[in-house]
Amino acid sequence: MKFTIVKMKIKTTRTSLLTVVLAGLTLGSNAQEVPTILSGATIHTGTGEVIQNGTLVMNHGKIMSIGEEPVNFIKNAKVIDVTGKHIYPGVFALNNIMGLNEIDAVRATRDFNEVGDFNPNVRSLIAYNTDSKILPTAFFNGILFTQPVPQGGSISGSSSLVYTKAWNWEDAAIAEDEGVHLNYPDFRPNHKPEEQERLNKELEAIRKFFEDAKQYNQQSNPSPVNLRLKAMKKVLEGKANLYIHTNKAKAMLHAIAFFKTNYPEVKIVLVDAEEAWQVADELAKQKIPVILGTIHRLPSYPANDVDQPFKTPAQLVRKGVLVAISQTGSWESRNVMFNAGTCAAYGLTKEEALQLITLNAAKITCTAEKLGSLEKGKEASLLVVDGDLLDMRSSKIQKIFKQGEEQQLSNEQEALYKKYKEKYGLE
Amino acid sequence: MRKYLTSIILIASLSLGVSASAQETFPHNGPRDQRPESVIFTHVNLIPSSGQHLVDMSVWVEAGKIKAIAKEIPANKGIKVVDLNGKYMYPAFIDAFSSYGLKWESKRESKSQQFLSNKPGAYSWNEAIRAELKAEDYFASDNRQAELFRKAGFGVTNSLIQDGICRGTSVVVSTGNHPSHEAIIKKNVHSAWSFNKGSSSQDYPGSAMGAVALIRQSILDAQWYTKQTKQTNLSLEALSNQLKLPVLMEVENKFALLRADRIAKEFGLNNWIYKGRGDEYQRLKEIKSTGKPLVIPLNFPKPYEVQDPFDAQYVSLADLKHWEMAPFNPALLAKEKIPFALTLKGCDQAGEFWKNLRTAIKCGLDPEIALKALTETPAQLLGISNQAGSIKVGMPAHFIIATTDLFRENGKILELWTFGKQEVLDEENPLEGISQLTLTGLDSFTTIQLGSNERQEAKLIGRDTIPMTLQQANGSLILQWKKNGLNQITLNKYSSTWRGLGMLANGKQVSLEVVEAKRNSEKPKATTPQEKNIEIPTTLFPFCEYGSAQLPAKENLLIKNARVWTNEQEGILEEADVWIKDGKIAGIGKNLQAKDARVIDAKGKQLTNGIIDEHSHVAIYNGVNECTQAITAEVRIGDVLNPEDINIYRQLAGGVTAAQLLHGSCNPVGGQSALVKLRWGVAPEEMKIEGADGFIKFALGENVKQSNWGIYSSRYPQTRMGVEQVYYDAFYRAREYDAELKRNPSLRKDLELEALNEILTRKRFISCHSYVQSEINMLMHVADSFRFKVNTFTHILEGYKVADKMKKHGVSASTFADWWAYKYEVVEAIPYNGALLHQMGITTAINSDDAEMGRRLNHEAAKMVKYGNLKEEEAWKMVTLNPAKMLHLDKQTGSIKVGKDADLVLWNDNPLSIYAKPEMTMVDGVIYYSLERDAELRAFVQKERQRIIQRMLEAKQSGEKTEVHISRQDEVYHCEDEN
Repeated sequence: MKFTIVKMKIKTTRTSLLTVVLAGLTLGSNAQEVPTILSGATIHTGTGEVIQNGTLVMNHGKIMSIGEEPVNFIKNAKVIDVTGKHIYPGVFALNNIMGLNEIDAVRATRDFNEVGDFNPNVRSLIAYNTDSKILPTAFFNGILFTQPVPQGGSISGSSSLVYTKAWNWEDAAIAEDEGVHLNYPDFRPNHKPEEQERLNKELEAIRKFFEDAKQYNQQSNPSPVNLRLKAMKKVLEGKANLYIHTNKAKAMLHAIAFFKTNYPEVKIVLVDAEEAWQVADELAKQKIPVILGTIHRLPSYPANDVDQPFKTPAQLVRKGVLVAISQTGSWESRNVMFNAGTCAAYGLTKEEALQLITLNAAKITCTAEKLGSLEKGKEASLLVVDGDLLDMRSSKIQKIFKQGEEQQLSNEQEALYKKYKEKYGLE
Repeated sequence: MRKYLTSIILIASLSLGVSASAQETFPHNGPRDQRPESVIFTHVNLIPSSGQHLVDMSVWVEAGKIKAIAKEIPANKGIKVVDLNGKYMYPAFIDAFSSYGLKWESKRESKSQQFLSNKPGAYSWNEAIRAELKAEDYFASDNRQAELFRKAGFGVTNSLIQDGICRGTSVVVSTGNHPSHEAIIKKNVHSAWSFNKGSSSQDYPGSAMGAVALIRQSILDAQWYTKQTKQTNLSLEALSNQLKLPVLMEVENKFALLRADRIAKEFGLNNWIYKGRGDEYQRLKEIKSTGKPLVIPLNFPKPYEVQDPFDAQYVSLADLKHWEMAPFNPALLAKEKIPFALTLKGCDQAGEFWKNLRTAIKCGLDPEIALKALTETPAQLLGISNQAGSIKVGMPAHFIIATTDLFRENGKILELWTFGKQEVLDEENPLEGISQLTLTGLDSFTTIQLGSNERQEAKLIGRDTIPMTLQQANGSLILQWKKNGLNQITLNKYSSTWRGLGMLANGKQVSLEVVEAKRNSEKPKATTPQEKNIEIPTTLFPFCEYGSAQLPAKENLLIKNARVWTNEQEGILEEADVWIKDGKIAGIGKNLQAKDARVIDAKGKQLTNGIIDEHSHVAIYNGVNECTQAITAEVRIGDVLNPEDINIYRQLAGGVTAAQLLHGSCNPVGGQSALVKLRWGVAPEEMKIEGADGFIKFALGENVKQSNWGIYSSRYPQTRMGVEQVYYDAFYRAREYDAELKRNPSLRKDLELEALNEILTRKRFISCHSYVQSEINMLMHVADSFRFKVNTFTHILEGYKVADKMKKHGVSASTFADWWAYKYEVVEAIPYNGALLHQMGITTAINSDDAEMGRRLNHEAAKMVKYGNLKEEEAWKMVTLNPAKMLHLDKQTGSIKVGKDADLVLWNDNPLSIYAKPEMTMVDGVIYYSLERDAELRAFVQKERQRIIQRMLEAKQSGEKTEVHISRQDEVYHCEDEN
């Protein structure tokens, strides 16, 4: 965890009872003003542990205590009885374009694909639109953290881990420029020599770019300044991730060998990685974490098992690979927890499946010191759910706390629903 | 079979040596050069036609014809006598499908949005309908092109323009070196067709189903044309003249063949011939039942590059198996007694053709049937049996001379004769059969030992033994060996010896003589199969992954103690039994007993009706959209079903049993739907739900306006305003057509207007792709004003805004659960839409529009519980009973009720749960998917792949050429797709 985690200011002023009442549900203030006790719930900590009838205390935006023991009294504390409900860590939606893309078909609303082949210097953070109408719908489903990822070219840009609810991108930032995204060639066999040639050229360009970036960043005061090469510094020093996007097993093996040999200090993460199950042993051996693309997808080849995409996470986890999952796209990402549910139907336990979208995601984005699980001292950003978060049958979010502060859940979709129910006089 | 033993049969022509092939109308340049044209072949192994073999015969060829065939023919002076010394004479082969000699260039100008033909003149509106073309207009003898045909043994071809859907008429020609005027044997032979628009740059048809529709309408137009006098249309005129001709239809695969035959049957046309792909063995039963003859290629695939297991994944099981099975195709067709001719098409070289033909014979093709497929059968198909295809007195002399029995041994074709004119193709090997030569003239060597591979490598034997090479050129032998340097001496042949003079490397002059010393005792290897040793690989149904040799059978079942979601008033029954008999639900209750039923213990499991997807695009071949016109009501998804789409199996694994396969959404009126059950492995027609009502796709909004195509478009409509006008105009036209038809029965039958008229007369029902409220409202107004109802609004993400109006109109809604924001017209789409429509009393379904989501529709239904607080049973009906209702199938399926179809799914959990998995999916009581069967099929897929891959690797090691191959994966279609 070498790169900086943007520090959030947490107010510690003691407040009067009156303020507590007025505070009520705040829209965006990140400051938790009174301790809050959630009691009676089943707590899914994200570490694999389940606490029945547990109590969780939040103070100053952090988890003060968590456990089976009831907490009787904390001065000024607000007590919320959530008996029968389930508490989960806030969900991570990695590897998507929420906030960078509003309406797929309207070009003016697309901000994720810059011109050029090598763009590590373009930063998704500053284009991240906290006022996107998509974000509240994801938030509504329990997604508190997202990773807007640029697309296109060989190196598409840098991503950051951000809150789904914030006033502006600066306020949203959790881990700024935490990784650079490399699209690896797919090594598809081809009978045309010119296609083979193109693959070689692509690989050569990547090789050269890393070589030049390394040389450039070894200089103390490089001149002229090259923003593209400069942006690789953190990656080359192992202070930011290198996310390698590919679906093909052959490409994965090639990329791993290339970076392990030439840039052993670079922290690589495989992304999308549809065929990762074919090289699970190697991933485990080399300790390469994986962010899988959408789980709800069709198998890559007709010969694959029909449920291959569903069971890939379990196959990797059983080999000891650190796995997170994602649902790519923008509006689609709000279903990432159901992708996790499917993983639980195909080989993982429910608590393991939960980790794919919480603790493992935090570990991969190097934010696990404060996010990803419900543990004492970690940030109190969590969900109170009616039933099972991972199963749409009962995945109704009752409350969301961001840094200890209860958040408003409404979004425009719900408002439209209410408006028309009223029009028709429906209950 | 020695028919002509003694008598010499003379034919009428008495003119000796007078050429029948003079170019009479042409002037001569210089003195004439006409040669005698009379030759008697003696000692002929004569194969006059397949199944006949006359040994030691004489054949007299004169003036281009066979003058006599007899044991002995006395030769007058001046007649050439050629001793064939036991060589074989076959009828020259006939290629029923070629474009030999045609000077036609397929040029396609790439244009966007071309609505009408670019061909100037009074021709068809559609550029792919080229009935006016006559192949003979484009024919010119072409020695260079002819080489390939001649070397393979083809003396006659049926040449057609292989470009376009309707390709005009073909011409039968000789491949011999004759002036074009004399090479033409027969004109106006076949009416040639295909499903491929070829070089036509016109948009329509843009899909496989569009091509079918165009063929249908063109035949109707041709029939109408003869009865009208108002206009001249040269294409239709030609086509109407061709309606009596045999149709030669090129099809791209076995299903296209069946598709073509459906058109033939629709029009009661029996004289169709299909030129297939060579994959007919995959659907023998259905192809046999067409009763039509075939023309098939011998283009067997090369082994693929599969040594890298990662790369090998790109090769599908179907392609692997086709490599293995393609050589069996002719034998399997023959076994089914399906008549076929063999074509050279697809083989780039004569050697490849013969190699493949011999492989086919090894794979069980009877050599006599092979010969028949090259001679008699094509002669019959072309109607030239009295002119070619056999060697008979009086018939034109088209034959080949071969060293030996070509079909049983590795013989060579030496000569091709067409119209009595010789083409020398290959030289006989003067050393054939000789193993050793005696050499005189060299001090140190006395013997030449001949090697095996084409006699190129030999040994010079004397005091030493050293390697040497022997080459033949123009009847001479060139000897080469190394001693004191390189020695080379050319020997010329003198009846039984070869002699030559030359200088050795040491400067010494020598005179060499070589005579035959020993012959090979063994005969050349025969290629005839030994019947017992052939193991024909099993075919699969469907012919792809997860296919099986045997389709699962209908079973009588008793499912005990399940939690049964009836979708009826009874609601959910705990621990109940369901009895399935003859594909129907025969009983529901507790403690049922049923004789002869297999009992399935379903304790702890949940039984539901199968999921019905109101909006699916699986199992569609080559294009889901006919985007090229605003109204394409004439196209039919039912024409292009692809039962081998792997996504059918994947849907079954997700509990889906039936679906409406819809046309896409790129035009206001799309094509007609197919309502199918997911019977995995059956033929296309057997997927269709018998007796189902007809449905048709309409669409509104951005797709119809082509808003997101990224190109400037001039196709009407470009606005929602225009969409309404398209509908009004269409329905007025349909109404007027119907009225006119009643007055005038000989009116031109218009398939587009007929389909629209079916809507007006409530015989066809609309499923309309729609998003925003304004246009939903508009279409209901259009329908009201023509007094019909819109059946279903599909997708309908803003239905919640006009739910009251929809309720009043009586339309159903089939929507996405939570899709939104993918384009501007869905910015106000809400996941509560389905629930609200339901609460308003509208029959509401959740659809997929996508093969991936289709197999998880239970998840999508569950979202109605999450977002709209719907009761679970109500949510479940949204993917079962409700779509059955809107597809008018609820009398037969959609709920668990006695008498209804046994389309059932057994789940391990509550079907709405993310953790639920189907353990068994049945359609009409046939278990197409179950955990056990799936496990077997998975293992089989991997085992079968490995087996064939190993065989390919062996083939590669043994020196066969390989190719990189990436299998085509079936497209996963969505509404939005442009084709």
